[in-house]
Amino acid sequence: MKQLRFAAGVLAAVTLLTACGANDTPAAQGGTVKPGGNLVLLNDAPSITWDPAKSSNLVVTTLGLIHRRLTSWDVAPGKDTTIVPDLATDTGRPSDGGKTWTFTLKDGLKYADGTPIKSEDVKWGLERSFAPAFSGGLAYHKDLLSPGLAYKGPFEGKELDSIQTPDAKTIVFHLARPYGDFNWVASTPAFSPVPKGKGAEANYGDHPVASGPYQLASYERGKSAKLTRNPNWSRDEDKTRLANPDTIEFQLGQDTSVISKRLVDDTGTDRNAFGMSFASPAQLAQIQGSASAKSRLVTSESGALAYLSLNTQRGNLVNPKVRQAFQYAVDKAAYQVASAGSAQLAGDVATTLITPGLQGREQYDLYPAPPSGDVAKAKQLLAEAGFPNGLDGLVLATRNENGYPEKAAAIQASLARAGIKITIKPLDEDTYTSEVDTKGLSDYDLTLTSWQPDIPSANANIQPLFQSTEIGNGGVNESRYNNPEVDKLITEAQATVDPAEAGKKWAALDKKILADSPVVPLIYTRNSFLHGSQVGGVEIGRFPAYVDYRKFGIIQ
Amino acid sequence: MRTARFVATRFAGMLLVLLVVAFVTFVVFYVLPADPARMACGRPCTPEGLQLAREFMGYNAPWYQQFFEFLGGILGGRTFGTGAAAIHCAAPCFGYDFQNNVDVLSEIGGRIEVSFSVALGAAAIWIVLGVGLGVLSALRRGTAVDRITMAAAMAGVSMPAYLAGMIGITIFAFALDVVPKSGYVPLTENPVQWAWHLVLPWFVLAFLHAAIYARLTRGQMLETLGEDYIRTARAKGLTERKVVGRHALRNVLLPVVTVFGVDLGGLLAGTVITERIFGMAGVGRLLVDAIASLNLPVLLGVTLFSALLITVLNFLVDLCYGALDPRARLV
Repeated sequence: MKQLRFAAGVLAAVTLLTACGANDTPAAQGGTVKPGGNLVLLNDAPSITWDPAKSSNLVVTTLGLIHRRLTSWDVAPGKDTTIVPDLATDTGRPSDGGKTWTFTLKDGLKYADGTPIKSEDVKWGLERSFAPAFSGGLAYHKDLLSPGLAYKGPFEGKELDSIQTPDAKTIVFHLARPYGDFNWVASTPAFSPVPKGKGAEANYGDHPVASGPYQLASYERGKSAKLTRNPNWSRDEDKTRLANPDTIEFQLGQDTSVISKRLVDDTGTDRNAFGMSFASPAQLAQIQGSASAKSRLVTSESGALAYLSLNTQRGNLVNPKVRQAFQYAVDKAAYQVASAGSAQLAGDVATTLITPGLQGREQYDLYPAPPSGDVAKAKQLLAEAGFPNGLDGLVLATRNENGYPEKAAAIQASLARAGIKITIKPLDEDTYTSEVDTKGLSDYDLTLTSWQPDIPSANANIQPLFQSTEIGNGGVNESRYNNPEVDKLITEAQATVDPAEAGKKWAALDKKILADSPVVPLIYTRNSFLHGSQVGGVEIGRFPAYVDYRKFGIIQ
Repeated sequence: MRTARFVATRFAGMLLVLLVVAFVTFVVFYVLPADPARMACGRPCTPEGLQLAREFMGYNAPWYQQFFEFLGGILGGRTFGTGAAAIHCAAPCFGYDFQNNVDVLSEIGGRIEVSFSVALGAAAIWIVLGVGLGVLSALRRGTAVDRITMAAAMAGVSMPAYLAGMIGITIFAFALDVVPKSGYVPLTENPVQWAWHLVLPWFVLAFLHAAIYARLTRGQMLETLGEDYIRTARAKGLTERKVVGRHALRNVLLPVVTVFGVDLGGLLAGTVITERIFGMAGVGRLLVDAIASLNLPVLLGVTLFSALLITVLNFLVDLCYGALDPRARLV
């Protein structure tokens, strides 16, 4: 599960930070970032899944150092994240109304072992991801390329006919339905090349063939991983990765408190180190006492959407007016304090579903109220809905870690002001998943959680949370929002190829869904990371709320 | 003949205990609402994807059938999936870790050295310290030595392991900077570095455990020194060293050995907190990570491994009784 935790993702529990948007330009010791040196990455997770088929890493983190994909992201502080080519010459050419996508590989691409990277290798890598032995990674491509997962991988001797490679440089995808974001999907790990015919062994991830600036020189689970340069990678051709350090060393399975102590201490090789986990509220409080450590804390300007979901298929919550009362009853300022001690540390108050940094997002506020809520308005809506005395007996489910119980208590107190009485049920991660996300009908009225999209597209923000297909069975439509019209609009927006036009559709959906009030957006959760004094180029863009590992460098 | 029968009975008993442990662990996991196949399903996880993962990992069968497949794997090995990408787990197969692509037995095997290094070193220190201080306290009953020793023992017994570890690392690794902050160096690679990286974990663990032994030894020693046979020994004119060392200590050690067997068995199977704080990849850390990632095959494997160590250590303790106390001798 922890794997899942950092594996970049979603339902990221999360946390907060300090100086808003403080991306840093370290001037420590007066040096500048230059190519060379050894970067140390301190990780509390015991292992890293280096097999691209099994990974859910974002483009900007660990696997991006070793594996290139067809497309990549241009991430920088203060701007929306955009799509850029990686192995491909462009970001994909849609035809047939978005059902067919064609990519051409750049000239002269080579693996670390010197063999050329061919389009059939990208196809083979994707085919591998369908084999049950290699499932577990991001799977946004699977249902588009083989609906119902009819294809079971290349190791039974069958090819995936929906992918064609007319020549060594061209790869054509024939999708089951039009999909405007397919070029974004092409930036997920499974679109990394695997030499055709290789990777049948279960432990391919322990010795993957590298296409990125680094190769895996050694890997010991629970202990360490060491990356060295890929001699066949060229900085002139790959514009998205700076690849400054000569070597990168991951120290795995480290205790988070010890990691944070080492980084605050900042001595010896720890000056070249970066902590991969979010700084926790307790650690942030400690760091405030050290000016040196404070200057080495980097905080995102935005992040995962924290929200309260209202079970639209349960009890009085089926009434939209009742749900709208929650928008005013919740005290988002109290939520900020409960999650990180202050508004600035926690992240800005959220009024939209799409998080900042995604193209097409429009800022709006359907339920204008002070950050602490508008209790009178909430009571009025409840009275209009026929509940002048408020509501009683609602149950809120949340996780029993990462400060969720405290945050839930803040929600409970704020709802009580409007006469809404709830009890809190903290659940461990597994129980939460099975009770809230697996059952078709949930026994809970409210859930408190957060969501960070896997790709910088509004689609990845809206569809998983609100399409009716994502109710139960492991989907995360926790409000059990089932609106046939919205379903139709989601499918239409997904099929829209022009990004500007699609953006407008997603923004309209954002408002349309929130008008039904299936969830109360709380905050855009900030993340903070701590690094040693010799590490430079520590940047977090507007999306994702993770440091861009591709830009790290050692100050010399 | 009696020894052979004793050993054979004990062996059969141990096997039965392990079987019961395996069965109970299996049932407990089955009752959990968690679905280990979800970890292998990916995101988004479609119902078809989940079903495929379950089939591949063997979680689609009823639990009793899975249990027999597990037992069968120990005797005859197992194969997961079909075709070129099928995974073979050779006998004795104690399960396969799908998250890390390695069979559970070799995963535990690869980490035994770390856990044994931590546990054996710490045990040597705490038994010497604990018993030594306990005897000293008993002989100097009521003096400052006794009071200070027992106060320290109290602190050791009541201090949470995580706190002791953090205090140790804060003082010795960060403030004084005299020992490494993290990591493990194999004995075969560099014995000096091995010991150097282990010194702090050894003493932290020894501090926590020695306390119990000191209190136990002291109490037992006081009681024994009041016995008639000690008076007889003293009356015979034996030196105090002989009275205490030869006659009293033997009796004192009986309960100590019992507790030691259980403690050591548990510790050899992994020192969870110590391994975590000091960044060592031992069996304990493996167990914690398996719990966190819902890695059932590893969880089951480590549980069985711990049960095995504890039953074996208990067996050894019984043999030790014979050496310490002729009345308990088997032959």
